Amino acid sequence: MIYFYDGTKEAFLTALLLSYDDPLPVLTSGNCQLALGQRTVFVRADAEKAQKAERRLLSIDKDCMRDLDLLLRSGDADKDTVALGYFRMIAKRQRPVREMLGEDDVLSAENHIRRVTFEIHRMKGFLRFMECASGALYAPIVPDNDICDLLVPHFRSRLPMYFFVIHDVKRKKAAVYDGEHTFFAPLGEAEVVLSADEAAWQRLWKEYYASVNIPSRERLKQMRGYMPVRYWKFMPEKH
Amino acid sequence: MIDEARLKILVESAKFDVSCSSSGSGRRNEGGVGNGYASGCCHSFTPDGRCISLLKMLLSNDCIFACKYCMNRCDADMPRASATPDEVCSLVMDFYKRNYIEGLFLSSAVHVSPDYTMEQLYLTVKKLRTEYNFHGYIHVKGIPHADAEIVRKTALYADRMSYNIELPSERSLKLLAPQKSRESLLLPMARLQRERLEFKEEKRKGYFLPAGQTTQMIVGASPEKDGAILRLSQGLYRKNGLKRVYYSAYVPVVHDSLLPELPGGALREHRLYQADWLLRFYGFDAEELLPEDGNLSLEFDPKCAWALAHMELFPVEVNRAPLEVLLRVPGIGARSAQRILDARRFTKLTFEHLKKMRVVLKRARHFITASGKFYGANERAVRGLLAAEESKSNAVQMSLFPNETALSALTGEL
Ligand code: SF4
Ligand code: SF4
Repeated sequence: MIYFYDGTKEAFLTALLLSYDDPLPVLTSGNCQLALGQRTVFVRADAEKAQKAERRLLSIDKDCMRDLDLLLRSGDADKDTVALGYFRMIAKRQRPVREMLGEDDVLSAENHIRRVTFEIHRMKGFLRFMECASGALYAPIVPDNDICDLLVPHFRSRLPMYFFVIHDVKRKKAAVYDGEHTFFAPLGEAEVVLSADEAAWQRLWKEYYASVNIPSRERLKQMRGYMPVRYWKFMPEKH
Repeated sequence: MIDEARLKILVESAKFDVSCSSSGSGRRNEGGVGNGYASGCCHSFTPDGRCISLLKMLLSNDCIFACKYCMNRCDADMPRASATPDEVCSLVMDFYKRNYIEGLFLSSAVHVSPDYTMEQLYLTVKKLRTEYNFHGYIHVKGIPHADAEIVRKTALYADRMSYNIELPSERSLKLLAPQKSRESLLLPMARLQRERLEFKEEKRKGYFLPAGQTTQMIVGASPEKDGAILRLSQGLYRKNGLKRVYYSAYVPVVHDSLLPELPGGALREHRLYQADWLLRFYGFDAEELLPEDGNLSLEFDPKCAWALAHMELFPVEVNRAPLEVLLRVPGIGARSAQRILDARRFTKLTFEHLKKMRVVLKRARHFITASGKFYGANERAVRGLLAAEESKSNAVQMSLFPNETALSALTGEL
């Protein structure tokens, strides 16, 4: 059976309960090719049931909701079914399963989680702020996974006095820090007026990037391996 | 704002210093800009495959010394430039807030005199910390023969300092870097290490080189063998508490009858990093790996070479072998070893399991059994198979630089 849900934690937990006895459930929040004759269910979040399920799961594994949060942020198409498999296993075994690496369900979940956390780590380096005329900093990003809000604490702790915006251009949402509070908002297109010096600093940065390279040791494949081309879009040094 | 022309000169003269790491400092933000990010952070990668983490530059490339291998030596015909402390500070601040860099790696040629140069470095980092309120990462190069007190004061503001040993023996140093002596490099290192420990013991406020010290050796400009080099590194790690020794394959940028005309060998540099990794993280001693007057095998990575010489110890059973033994299996790195320990608590592991867990079996299969099964080749064939594997992987992914991601990705599963 195929279960459709809205991608939220509540609906996920509801679906987990609902599909518990289904031997081969497929869960999805996006588009999904329907095979002829396949049965589908639309899962509506049930807050009460979800809460109960969450409490039960937390009593088995106190860290599992962090895993769920990360799994649901994954950009992979099968992330919902993978998350379902992982949580069914926790429920069936009645214990944390994180280290049972001999199990396929655990391995796939681990894989997805690793890709999300790895991208967070990468983004902390690859993200680029531009300085706006107002002094605020603006960074557009196009991550594979839904992580833009998770980047805020890192930058807030190192730039506590700045107003900054991290804008997930693909998902049309932004995380905003105003020097005191953080909030999240849908954001389609941002209108950005750059500061007078911004272009000059970008030029200096590009000069730095060119000068620090050792041309006789060119290793483009290695460079692209560490810094995949899809992240170059907003990096001044790559333009 | 510093002009592009001078920036270019000061960066091009600094770029052969290989240290790029920004890890190991937990410096906190105290109401200004920046903090240390303990695990390090790569901000970009250049077409040579190296990472950019720090703004790496010289304060001046106008040198009074004449190290034979260096393009900034006083008798070289080079464009010269210097930057002021304020120019460097504002560059750091503006790059940092745009998230281009993790901090600063500031070095300098010996400009005017060692004391003058060290003083300028000191003034720059002090300014950056106290006037510009910068709490990000700072690595400062120590200047040989400079006054110990200025060096000590600099350490109060820097996260890491390094004196580069440059050449592995006093003899080579005399020949190629006549104004430097072994003492002028090793003594300040030892002194800083002592002061750092005292600072810690007395639990004083503030920081004193929280990320410790590193050093760098040029390999291939002088005749020392890998065995001697690795013994030196081992001593620096174990006795002097160094965090990292970098190796830099000699690149002939200048001509001198005392220097080899051919580059020092990128593969050799790579092997030294692999062996260095074994010393630090895999419980090997330099003495186990090679004799003092020997070189590392170019054909096999050092762990493979060691295992091939100790075939009587293999194969080991992955379901039983303790961590120290797993770590000695070619192809099984620290991460894989840990995953095996985790997973085998729940099931008896088979080769299928290992494959799914992404343990790389190409080399390992010759040295392990899983649930009693062995999928390796017989002893005589192993050498040939491994050698073929090696030359293939060296051709595609040889890492030339001690970029930590590169190292853990490439040699992490040594
Ligand atoms: S590779 Fe390592 S040292 Fe280099 S920038 Fe990245 S984290 Fe830092
Ligand atoms: S001291 Fe030696 S290595 Fe350093 S810049 Fe001067 S000539 Fe070059």
